[in-house]
Amino acid sequence: MSVSLSPIARLRAPERPVWEEPPSRVGLTAKGVFLAVCCLGVLFPLWVVVVTSLSPRDVIESAGGLVIWPQGITFVNYQELLSGGQVSRAMLVSLGVTGFGTLFSMAVSILAAYGLSRPGSFGHRILLMALMATMFFSAGLIPTYLLVQTLGLTNTYLSLILPSAVSVFNILVLRSFFMNISPELTDSARIDGAGEVRILWTIIMPLSRAVIAVISLFYAVAYWSAWFNAMIYIDDQNKMPLQNVLIQLVQKNTGLPTGLSQRVNTGELSALGLQMAVMVLALVPVAIASPFVQKHFKKGMLTGAIKG
Amino acid sequence: MTPNSSSANSAPSRRSFLASTAFAAVAVAGGAPLLTACGGSAETGEGATSGKSAKKLLPTYTPRNIVTPDIPSKNGSSAGFTGKVKLDELATAVPEKLGTGAKVKIMAPFWGTPPKQDCAYYTALNEATGVDVTWQNQDGNTYGEKIGAVLASSSIPDMLVVPGWELGGKVPSALVAKMLDLGPYLAGSEVKKYPNLAAIPSDAWQRGIFGGKLRGIPYPYSYVPNIAPFYRKDIFEEKGWEVPKSADEFLALAKEMTSKKAGVYGCDDMKWSSFNIFGSLGGSEKALGWKLDGDKLVYRVETDEYLEALEWTRKLYAAGVVHPDARAVSGDSSLRFTSGKVMMYNADITAWYGKTAEMVGSKTTPNFEMAAMDIFGHDGGDPKLYAGTPANMWAFIRKDAPKEVVENLLAASNYAAAPYGTREQMMVYYGVEGAHYTVKDGVPVKTERGNTEVLNAWSMLAGPASFIAHPDLPEVAKAQVEWQQRMGAFVTKPPFYGLTIVEPSRYANLSDQFEQLEDDFVRGNKKLSDVQQAISDWKSKGGDKLRDWYKKEILDKNGSAS
Amino acid sequence: MALQAERPPRPAGTRGGREPQQPRRFQGFRLSRRTRTAARLGSLTWRTRLRRDRTLILMTLPAVVLLLVFNYVPLLGNVVAFQDYNPYISTNGVTAIFNSPWVAFEQFEKMFNDSNFWGAFENTLVLFFIQLVLFFPVPIVLALVINSVIRPRVRALSQAILYLPHFFSWVLVVTVFQQMFGGAGLIAQILEDHGISGFDLMTNAGIFKYLVTSEMIWKDAGWGIIVFLAALASVSPDLYEASAMDGANRWRRMWHVTLPALRPVIALLLVLRVGDALTVGFEQLLLQRDAVGAGASEVLDTYVWNVGIQNGDFSYAAAVGLVKGVIGVCLVLAANKFAHLLGEQGVYKK
Repeated sequence: MSVSLSPIARLRAPERPVWEEPPSRVGLTAKGVFLAVCCLGVLFPLWVVVVTSLSPRDVIESAGGLVIWPQGITFVNYQELLSGGQVSRAMLVSLGVTGFGTLFSMAVSILAAYGLSRPGSFGHRILLMALMATMFFSAGLIPTYLLVQTLGLTNTYLSLILPSAVSVFNILVLRSFFMNISPELTDSARIDGAGEVRILWTIIMPLSRAVIAVISLFYAVAYWSAWFNAMIYIDDQNKMPLQNVLIQLVQKNTGLPTGLSQRVNTGELSALGLQMAVMVLALVPVAIASPFVQKHFKKGMLTGAIKG
Repeated sequence: MTPNSSSANSAPSRRSFLASTAFAAVAVAGGAPLLTACGGSAETGEGATSGKSAKKLLPTYTPRNIVTPDIPSKNGSSAGFTGKVKLDELATAVPEKLGTGAKVKIMAPFWGTPPKQDCAYYTALNEATGVDVTWQNQDGNTYGEKIGAVLASSSIPDMLVVPGWELGGKVPSALVAKMLDLGPYLAGSEVKKYPNLAAIPSDAWQRGIFGGKLRGIPYPYSYVPNIAPFYRKDIFEEKGWEVPKSADEFLALAKEMTSKKAGVYGCDDMKWSSFNIFGSLGGSEKALGWKLDGDKLVYRVETDEYLEALEWTRKLYAAGVVHPDARAVSGDSSLRFTSGKVMMYNADITAWYGKTAEMVGSKTTPNFEMAAMDIFGHDGGDPKLYAGTPANMWAFIRKDAPKEVVENLLAASNYAAAPYGTREQMMVYYGVEGAHYTVKDGVPVKTERGNTEVLNAWSMLAGPASFIAHPDLPEVAKAQVEWQQRMGAFVTKPPFYGLTIVEPSRYANLSDQFEQLEDDFVRGNKKLSDVQQAISDWKSKGGDKLRDWYKKEILDKNGSAS
Repeated sequence: MALQAERPPRPAGTRGGREPQQPRRFQGFRLSRRTRTAARLGSLTWRTRLRRDRTLILMTLPAVVLLLVFNYVPLLGNVVAFQDYNPYISTNGVTAIFNSPWVAFEQFEKMFNDSNFWGAFENTLVLFFIQLVLFFPVPIVLALVINSVIRPRVRALSQAILYLPHFFSWVLVVTVFQQMFGGAGLIAQILEDHGISGFDLMTNAGIFKYLVTSEMIWKDAGWGIIVFLAALASVSPDLYEASAMDGANRWRRMWHVTLPALRPVIALLLVLRVGDALTVGFEQLLLQRDAVGAGASEVLDTYVWNVGIQNGDFSYAAAVGLVKGVIGVCLVLAANKFAHLLGEQGVYKK
């Protein structure tokens, strides 16, 4: 922050609009410190996890747990996880399920959110209530399993998508954003003779890029990190998604992952190091997806439409 | 997150403690002992069968002395093999294929990443047994939920492997209702067709009687208590510490060892050992929690020994000699032990081999050495120990399976039960020589491929009489067997030893609260009066009735095992 | 959006029905208002409204069908709350419902007579209020701070960093906290070196609820900002500029421009959170239960898990679930009403 605290002139970020007054030193410092503390609070544990995942087994042994200061670096944990067909195969499954699932869920959710977004439209309150009720009552494992089995979905990829395709929470958030778009825009289009689908496609969706990006991310993350459905519905190992393959390694306090236990037993690997490597691998897709979502958060992206 | 959608495995309960140590055990090639855990209840098939009526149901025991163990079983111990593996001297346990090529589906728990269905290991075993097995390897940590759902559906796999710790709630009644009576195939001399199954001890087979019929093919285990108190032998020798011989000595020593500044503590959580030290019934399985006091049945929580054991464990916590992470139930206790953060901890006896093997070639502690201390009586005298269960995992066959499928499945189990020192046993535990393992200096070493393919599937279909063999560390195998034999001398069998008892469902969850209460009490989060209150509640809410039920339905009908 | 901007205005068209033709530019908003009022007064018959809105209804159909099949149908299984259900006594779990004995409200009586249930209930409510006060505002504040950062790099980087902990598993979060604040953790070691003994935040039942809330803030607050950022992105800079021209300073602009833009989202999330008040975390609490004892840590979800699900007592689990659901519905209706009183939309309009 020392750089930004130097002369006032340097405080003026080129992106700052002309009408905005330059920030006070105190304000800027406070903000900088606040953000820095937050980020460090996150980064330090992350650092520990990454360092542990890169530490040779002996270092982990002598630390007796997570490693804070690196003493030697090895990539053996990552090699171990990524070698062999299992992880890459499972990753393909996960990517496919996440991709198709997100598209499908978004289509269904955007349609529903728009369909319910017009105040006073026929039946929207009853439908809304019916949707919301599902947020509060959950069915047990056995009835759900029997249903999926009766539909013949067990051991298919559809069983990983359909039962969890609709999140009412996401629909409600989308709907809330849709409703905040000035009715002026849609009404005029309607008067121009545009149908609902066209209004949704040409007015609502372009204006809702930010929230659509967010909800897509919510769905994608949910599909990517889901494991319970696969655990219950999938019998064929080749169809298992990534989380189920990796979860063995991180979920337990005690005990070793057997698949790797031979090598752990022979002292080549450390169970803890492997677990931390799995954690890091789980973060990679997020790190990749994050910029794509942020792109849609730019201020002022809506000006053109509103002015037009 | 709702409980339904979440993980069974995250519960740091006894069930997970036991399951995790057990699968570590299965992973270790050679002896694959299993633990005991909570039994369950059912509405149908309540009770148990033993004595004369059981004899009729059981296969005739015919031991096979194909390979003589270096240390024969004594006092209920496993048999020990301390020699090297010589491939050309391996015996044959299954001279001809018993399978007729039937297609069968087997669902079994699996810890780790299962290999592909068409991998060389599965293919080779299908070829060797003549059974066309399709595996459904399910995550062992969430297996309970999966079998709960599968048993409620009308499509059950041909064979279902069920570990004892998944027998909670109504699962036993489901097994009684939906699994085949194997009697017509195995009882008496019928078993001769499957000589390896005939060599499974009757104790273990008796545990396979569910609802009055022989339904489960057991995986046998030594009944000597499986939780051993381990200590760091290398550090003990270096510092000149004496292995403790009484509860007081243990506490004094733990205090001496503890140096908070160095982050070193005397011990980890010792609750499971304290029960053995104070002669309390282990209660690893509900039926084993009863003993006869004169002619009155007494449950473990009613005994003085139970409270004394807990009080002592609480003392350890209060004295600050237990590692704080153990108090918080966080992290891996064995890692604290191998890294020297704690000097003593308790774990399944298999950890002796597992941790020793893991530390071979360690750069930080090249002299690592661990050992199990003999369980001492709390006052310094002989300990009073109670037997565990002689089998705690079974393979079941679905009720409406066609005859050919049943016979093929039994053939597969027979192959998996081949004793140590045979070609079949090597095949099951190590795979195909060359592809999955190579033998160096009499020690089989798995190849990369072996490590990914040869895991714990086939070994669960049945097992030979309990044995321990570690060709790479024969001295550990020897020490393990000898420890079991020394401890075995102090073991008494409780009255319901070796029975699979299905309690009436109204009492099923009666004792479930105690495990949590124990953990809260020893950590100082509950008072003694809370425990005493829970005990009197237990009596009034059905404990006394349960006692009458056990007396009438089990003891009077079957007699006592002790 | 370029498309929108470039499209030439067309003469006002009609779309059938009884909607009156209106000049385009100024009356648009009033039009919909009037339509709504008309609908309430019943001047439009339901047939007309059905025909008018049929496209909208068709659009909700896929979601409705999916929820009907995958949520409502299995929900019928909750009748086992009034049974002593054994899923294994018939050929399958459905036929078993017809063969299991009916016990009326026995499961509910058992629940209300169990002191552990009430202990869990109390812990749940206390934890909910602590979370509401300490957790809920954090993402909003974070979003405002990040939104006020001008430099795109700082903005993007801090966002990306703050998202990450959401993707850690609870096991790892708890382990990390233990290694920091536990009795053998980093801070305890430092204090020990300075002669202060006995530091251990992880096994202190008195502060447990604040501990789990801080863990939750650490893990999920950064992720929570994302919806608010989306809301902030839809605020037109023109509004800020106009406000600045009127002489409003930084704080006044936040008060008059930024917060109004966030209000509908905040209200929506708040109403939903209140409706979900009885869900306060599961795995996190289960993992730390032994550290402080069940007395301080048991909440409804862990209670159901321990008493019902783990023991295969499906009827009891279903009964607790039903009670929880009914309470949730009541809470969400109340919260929504409250939002209306404050002039907010909430989840649905009156």
